[in-house]
Amino acid sequence: MNYIEVNGVKIELDEDGFIVEPDLWSEDLVKAFAKTEGVEELTEDHWKVINYLRDYFKQFGIAPMIRKLCKDTGFSLKEIYDLFPSGPAKGACKLAGLPKPTGCV
Amino acid sequence: MDEKKTTPLLDELEAGEWPSFVTQLKQAAKKSKMAAGLVQQLEASYEEKIGHWKHGGIVGVKGYGGGVVGRYSDDPERFPDCREFHTLRVNQVAGFFYSTKKLRELADVWDKYGTGLYNLHGSTGDIILLGTDTQNVQPCFDALSEIGFDLGGSGGALRTPSCCVGMARCEKACIDSMDINHNLTLHYQNEMHRPAWPYKFKIKISACPNDCAASTARSDLAIVGLWRDTIEIDQDAVREYVANGFKLEENVLRRCPTWALDWDAENKELKVKAEDCTHCMHCINAMPKAIRIGKERGAAIMIGGKAPVVKGANIGWVLVPFMKMEAPYTELKEIIDRVTDYWAEHGKNRERVGELIDRVGYATFLKAIGLEPVPQMVTAPRANPYIFWSAEEVEKRG
Amino acid sequence: MARTDFGPPDYREMLPPIVAENYGKWLYHEIPQPGVIKHVSETGAVLYSVRMASPRLVNSDWVREICDIAEKYCGGYLRFTTRHNVEFLVSDPSQLQPLLDELKARGHMIGGAGHAISNVVHTQGWVHCKSAVTDASGLVKSVMDELHPYFSGKIKIPARLRIAVACCVNMCGACHCSDIAIVGIHRTVPRINDELVAKTCEIPTTVASCPTGAIRPNPKLKSIEINAEKCMMCGNCTVVCPALKIMDPENDGVSIWVGGKVSNARTAPMFSRLAVPFIKNNPPRWPEVTDTVKHLVEVWAKDAKYGERMGEWIERIGWERFFKLTGLPFTEKHIDSFTHATQTFRSTTQFRF
Ligand code: SF4
Ligand code: SF4
Repeated sequence: MNYIEVNGVKIELDEDGFIVEPDLWSEDLVKAFAKTEGVEELTEDHWKVINYLRDYFKQFGIAPMIRKLCKDTGFSLKEIYDLFPSGPAKGACKLAGLPKPTGCV
Repeated sequence: MDEKKTTPLLDELEAGEWPSFVTQLKQAAKKSKMAAGLVQQLEASYEEKIGHWKHGGIVGVKGYGGGVVGRYSDDPERFPDCREFHTLRVNQVAGFFYSTKKLRELADVWDKYGTGLYNLHGSTGDIILLGTDTQNVQPCFDALSEIGFDLGGSGGALRTPSCCVGMARCEKACIDSMDINHNLTLHYQNEMHRPAWPYKFKIKISACPNDCAASTARSDLAIVGLWRDTIEIDQDAVREYVANGFKLEENVLRRCPTWALDWDAENKELKVKAEDCTHCMHCINAMPKAIRIGKERGAAIMIGGKAPVVKGANIGWVLVPFMKMEAPYTELKEIIDRVTDYWAEHGKNRERVGELIDRVGYATFLKAIGLEPVPQMVTAPRANPYIFWSAEEVEKRG
Repeated sequence: MARTDFGPPDYREMLPPIVAENYGKWLYHEIPQPGVIKHVSETGAVLYSVRMASPRLVNSDWVREICDIAEKYCGGYLRFTTRHNVEFLVSDPSQLQPLLDELKARGHMIGGAGHAISNVVHTQGWVHCKSAVTDASGLVKSVMDELHPYFSGKIKIPARLRIAVACCVNMCGACHCSDIAIVGIHRTVPRINDELVAKTCEIPTTVASCPTGAIRPNPKLKSIEINAEKCMMCGNCTVVCPALKIMDPENDGVSIWVGGKVSNARTAPMFSRLAVPFIKNNPPRWPEVTDTVKHLVEVWAKDAKYGERMGEWIERIGWERFFKLTGLPFTEKHIDSFTHATQTFRSTTQFRF
């Protein structure tokens, strides 16, 4: 079983490293995730994206389309990748505790 | 644990004349534990008639949002050796030409970081490297980049463009499909590697209407080479075909869809009514030594081609009947940008551009991307009177 | 961080000298023997391309083997076709026969050029796809073990014939426009794991994913429900929601489609149309599928005219005669019920009785 340890508590992850129980999300979890996703230091900009994603999900029950994310946060796609090197889906959504993005690849 | 596992069902696929993928798998399994795991899992699929890959999987390399397809076994306890079995999509060389030096470098990298199994090529066109685990994905990409191979597209992105052989080895090439392919691929690296679109977007290029790259059927935006002047006929060569017993009447004249060809038996001359020819390629295909494409060459741009998922299949529709194709293909790129911008803005999640056009109407779409309607866009004008008129087009009412 | 966005190797560095020198200068080609294509350039240069069957799913040993061959006979260059064949490009005519001999001695098959059945375009199947209903590689192998004489030119056919295999109804791989297509299909409605839906699914996305509007939210369970009567088993919802399962080994199987093409030669490109709605999944050799495909090829080859593709042939003889000549039953399943269905209903009294 995959897990990540936050403040001494083991939180279960799926094989891609997304949390299995959305309710266990916390700011400390974000800090723990940041390391695994190549985010060196969590800045205000990171939190802006994370909070936007969480608010959007709470309101609509889905993750925003990437174009929408860029427009609403004011970050270009490139800036998003600079913030989250593993990208908006694998990086930002994971830190924000959203369900794993799906789609046919 | 090392009991010898048998694969009676797969073994049956080693018999027969056609080259066997099972033989390929088994050879790889001798060197790679992960490949051996795959063989076991595949045998189970054959026995149970069900796939054993888990849903989803989201694995990648730094800086990209695609190019790697994550795969996990749905029964890792039973198939521990292929519990992780990710795929890398590696951008193929345009026209699928390789030096053996490059291919050997690729094989060396892949033997080091993965199973040594490939699809050459995947059906989109990429080189598919089949099977590696999460921790090897980034190092594998790093090593690939050192030998000059980049990743292709996946997800809601531009998928790796692909093309026919074109001018490199085909006398029918009206456009330089390989160069267009390479040029667009380099130009749209960001759109390929960082998915930001509603769904996939494919570009394929065929250098003539035979469409060997299946572009019209298989890509959202197809570029199909053609010419717009007259076919060129070498009368001596025609006479030679006839003298050799070629059935000109039956195999060519009667098969021309528009009856554009006539054989003047007296003067032994093949005549074409240029205005009737639809540039269908039949006569050229049938008599390659005698008939050639014309001189004024360019391409048609087709839009909306796709397989059935979600709302049904389309064969691409005419967007531009004729466009000159000269490097750096500025006009083409402008069209692509306008199409993808409009679609990215208005497309719903998982809606391909063809489905968007179906939803909003072709006229609306054309207006949005700034193209004038021309009769070549339709097989026939509408047969119903339910026409949309805008306020500017009608007299103001008091 | 590794460098990014540099793109594929430049094709200009991957071309054999004869191709680079005659780029855009080719005059015509002919097929002197099955699987060998001779191109003649305006410079007078002559290039022989030898086309070899590939299993597509290959290993590094195989890659190195074809490299060995290309180094020996082709100056260290080779290419692949859009249908996964390997092509050895021979610029020295004296190397042609030795190459053919060596390929034969190594057990490789040559063919697939001109009026022939070329290699099969196909998807991943059980080997690597998460939504595979069947195994594409196994189907291809089984079908081509029957049809290889049409590849190698031992049996001649009136036109080219393109076969594609897709392991699910997504119909990846040009199945919707192939002379013959084999497509995996489902016959039962997805099963819902309510608890998992609540945790892992975007419910609005899942509801919106259904092309027939068969899905509605089930707020009580924080899940969804599916109206079985509206469900056409397309599997779209299962792609966006991991908590829905549509795989059903007892009921999944294979369908066969005919008459599609992508070329504009003579007639416009055509869709493949349903010939056989369901054949049970019968690995490892799918005998019912291979028999049907072979039968379709034989009936077409016997009756079609020069250059006439499967779809053009059917257009000429009519669907009623197609079903009569092939002996396949026409059923309600053959009548389209999806978007654009009415376009396929006939509005003329012209029949072939
Ligand atoms: S290209 Fe086609 S339409 Fe034109 S003359 Fe030849 S067969 Fe007829
Ligand atoms: S399988 Fe297709 S038709 Fe059935 S519920 Fe899912 S999306 Fe709708």
